[in-house]
Amino acid sequence: MLEESERAIFEVPIGPQHPALKEPILLLFKIEGDTIVDVMARPAYTHRGVEKATEARNYIQNIYLCERVCGICSCIHTLVYTQGVEKLADVEPPPRAKYIRVIMSELERIHSHTLWLGVAAHELGFDTLFYYVWRDRELVMDLLELISGNRVNYAMSTVGGVRRDISDAVAHQIKKGMEILRKRLDVYTEVVEKEPTLRKRVIDVGKLSPHDAVALCAVGPTLRMTGVKRDVRADDPYQAYDEIPFNVATYDTGDVLAQIIVRVVETYEAANIIDYAIDHMPSGPIKVKVPWNIAPNEIITRGEAPRGELFYYFKSNGTEKPERVKIRTPTLGNIPAVCEMLKGYHIAEIPIVFAGIDPCLSCTARFAFIDERKGKSWVWSGDQLRTYRRKYYKRYGR
Amino acid sequence: MAMESELAGAAVRKPVTLKYPFERRDVPPRFRGRLAWDAEKCVGCGMCVQVCPAFALEMVGKGPMAELRYYLNRCVFCSQCVESCPRDALSMTEEYELADYKHKVYEFKRG
Amino acid sequence: MKEALGVIELVIFPGFLFLSWLALYFEWVDRKFYAKLQYRYGPLHTGPKGFLQPFADFVKLLAKEDIVPAAVDRFLFTLTPIMMLALSFYALFYIPIVPIVRDVAFGAFEGDLILVIFVLTIIGFLKFLAGWGSTNRFSAVGAVRTAFQLLGYEIPLAVALLTAAMGAGTLNISLIAQKISTDAILASALLPALAISVICFQAELERIPFDIPEAEQEIVAGWLTEFSGRRLALFRFATDVELTLAAALMAALFLGGPYGPAIPVIPVQVSYFLWFMFKTTVLVLVLANIRTLFARLRIDQMVHFSWRYLIVAAVAEAVFIQALLAMGVIA
Ligand code: SF4
Ligand code: SF4
Repeated sequence: MLEESERAIFEVPIGPQHPALKEPILLLFKIEGDTIVDVMARPAYTHRGVEKATEARNYIQNIYLCERVCGICSCIHTLVYTQGVEKLADVEPPPRAKYIRVIMSELERIHSHTLWLGVAAHELGFDTLFYYVWRDRELVMDLLELISGNRVNYAMSTVGGVRRDISDAVAHQIKKGMEILRKRLDVYTEVVEKEPTLRKRVIDVGKLSPHDAVALCAVGPTLRMTGVKRDVRADDPYQAYDEIPFNVATYDTGDVLAQIIVRVVETYEAANIIDYAIDHMPSGPIKVKVPWNIAPNEIITRGEAPRGELFYYFKSNGTEKPERVKIRTPTLGNIPAVCEMLKGYHIAEIPIVFAGIDPCLSCTARFAFIDERKGKSWVWSGDQLRTYRRKYYKRYGR
Repeated sequence: MAMESELAGAAVRKPVTLKYPFERRDVPPRFRGRLAWDAEKCVGCGMCVQVCPAFALEMVGKGPMAELRYYLNRCVFCSQCVESCPRDALSMTEEYELADYKHKVYEFKRG
Repeated sequence: MKEALGVIELVIFPGFLFLSWLALYFEWVDRKFYAKLQYRYGPLHTGPKGFLQPFADFVKLLAKEDIVPAAVDRFLFTLTPIMMLALSFYALFYIPIVPIVRDVAFGAFEGDLILVIFVLTIIGFLKFLAGWGSTNRFSAVGAVRTAFQLLGYEIPLAVALLTAAMGAGTLNISLIAQKISTDAILASALLPALAISVICFQAELERIPFDIPEAEQEIVAGWLTEFSGRRLALFRFATDVELTLAAALMAALFLGGPYGPAIPVIPVQVSYFLWFMFKTTVLVLVLANIRTLFARLRIDQMVHFSWRYLIVAAVAEAVFIQALLAMGVIA
């Protein structure tokens, strides 16, 4: 074994702008030959100050702010947010609203997982699969559009229930859509099972052991692909999930193939959940009233986003605005795990392994500074940020 | 080679791409487009201004004869204002081709 | 008269002008068919059905800013695009396209097949030099991958192409084509060699599943990363010409090129043209179809694949042809 300085190690930066990345993150690779020795990730390129902004808006306004934390998980963010505010105000949404929320978030899971499958195929250079999967994803997008009116930000959950009902005609259409979806999924499962070039690229690539996965706080499919059965929907059921039977998809090889399989199985499961929820949807109101001001309280709440556990912390102070909201998105939890997964593999595997965790970086950036050289870390307060901004603009002009 | 049978279908069917400016999709029934205001119904309560997450609405004047100013470029089309309006004075239209170089401000006027 | 015809053959038909048109036409066919298989339209608005889009892209790139980074090797940076285009054209003159003066290709001589194979290797090597001269990290990785890929496909390609020469008993591409077009048994015995060379050309042209040296998601544009403007336009055009070269060469060696059963009524030159266009277009469609079917391989998997299977298959095919020759099945 040679000393670090004698070995021919060179650094390859992937990002912040790179064709494999849909969002900015810097992954600094130390590479020896063609093998990755070390990875350093720097995610904070898209800090938007969402948490800070919530403190200046009331609980209703914040629904739409939190919806925009992430474009793909816009439903689960509002769901967990409103669930948190309901907990904070101690009100219970009506049962029909809970079912509608479940249907929406499972439709979103289908759209997110099919989107991921397409992106993964694209990262492998398999553009045909990418186009086909995305074509069939339109099916779910159309259903979401039919229910909520828009494609990306559904604006369905509100504090105290949901904003729109699902009529019987629409419910019927959703069930028909799920039938078609299952048939299309069968085709893609077959492609994944049979296509040799695809399998060559994903089997035994980006491996993660269950022990590491748990130790590095991986969440969602990234954790489940190692065989660890952990899913907020099953472990800490929220909304109507305790009344709906479903299986938690796991796979035990812990490579990229396992990621694909876990997500495909989850998509099938989501279709089943939607069918069940539509059949068993109770009738009744979809919304209850929630007071404008919320008494001082402090709670945490969570839900299973397509990418893993989504966590919200709330503190209220008796006014119509929250005192503090903390959001922990699943991608942040998966970044240490993906750094571990990349080590020991080739440059060619960077895109697929990194895309394997389904990174969604826009939600990830939080304002913490870590000075590596001095070994210090600190967090800036709003005031410090404001001072910094003032100084910055004075120095560089507007 | 697992996709060859799928490709055969593509060779005979029409592409799924819409030639956008020439072909348009139908707007879904609950679509949220540009905001519209009905002066007859509005009582100037200011509820819509309070709930708007994007600060896209502004009251001009006070009291029952107040008028609204609507900053289109800020609006995030959440339709919360429509839902919160006690008089159903607001509604969302089906207009969606709203991109512009200018900041569009709509002055909703009475009469 | 002969001289004037020769000049026409060199410059206009089937010289530079026609070949340039042909290259852009093949790019259009390739893109259009690739898109069609993916439920897209592909080029659509420039010219009828987007036919002029490749040309428009070329012109657009010519007009773009041409950046030469400070750290690059200026000599290689300027030389490689020009050389690649020039060499691709050069090789095309040894391949029968639509012969109008003599009944063979413009530059035909005994042994031109060896020359063309040599030029194909040089083109691969130029890509390596272009990437290496760029001194960019992504370019360097791409360049190394190009070199590895060259190691992988070069031998089976050469063996497969020479198998045709073996079967026809000459090293003159035009004569091979003439012989193949009249000998159906030989042509069908050479089909495996055609399949091997289709795969190898897919690697030479760096298309899926062998687009490893310019894998967009991994190393940006690989060896092409630093090129922009005019130089990029030349490279892209050179790739199109290379595609033409591949299609024309395979058509000549395995399908008889422009020579084919005479079509009644029309003059022989027109029938040459029709046969040539038909065969090469089919080959380009096959190449485009392969592009849709696979995921990208990793470089070691590619080299592994070609040394373990392609070379073995190529040699087996050569032995098979020799055996047929020895048994007198083909003359
Ligand atoms: S739709 Fe939403 S963002 Fe637009 S004006 Fe109404 S409340 Fe404000
Ligand atoms: S909420 Fe309705 S009634 Fe009140 S000011 Fe707005 S538009 Fe007028």
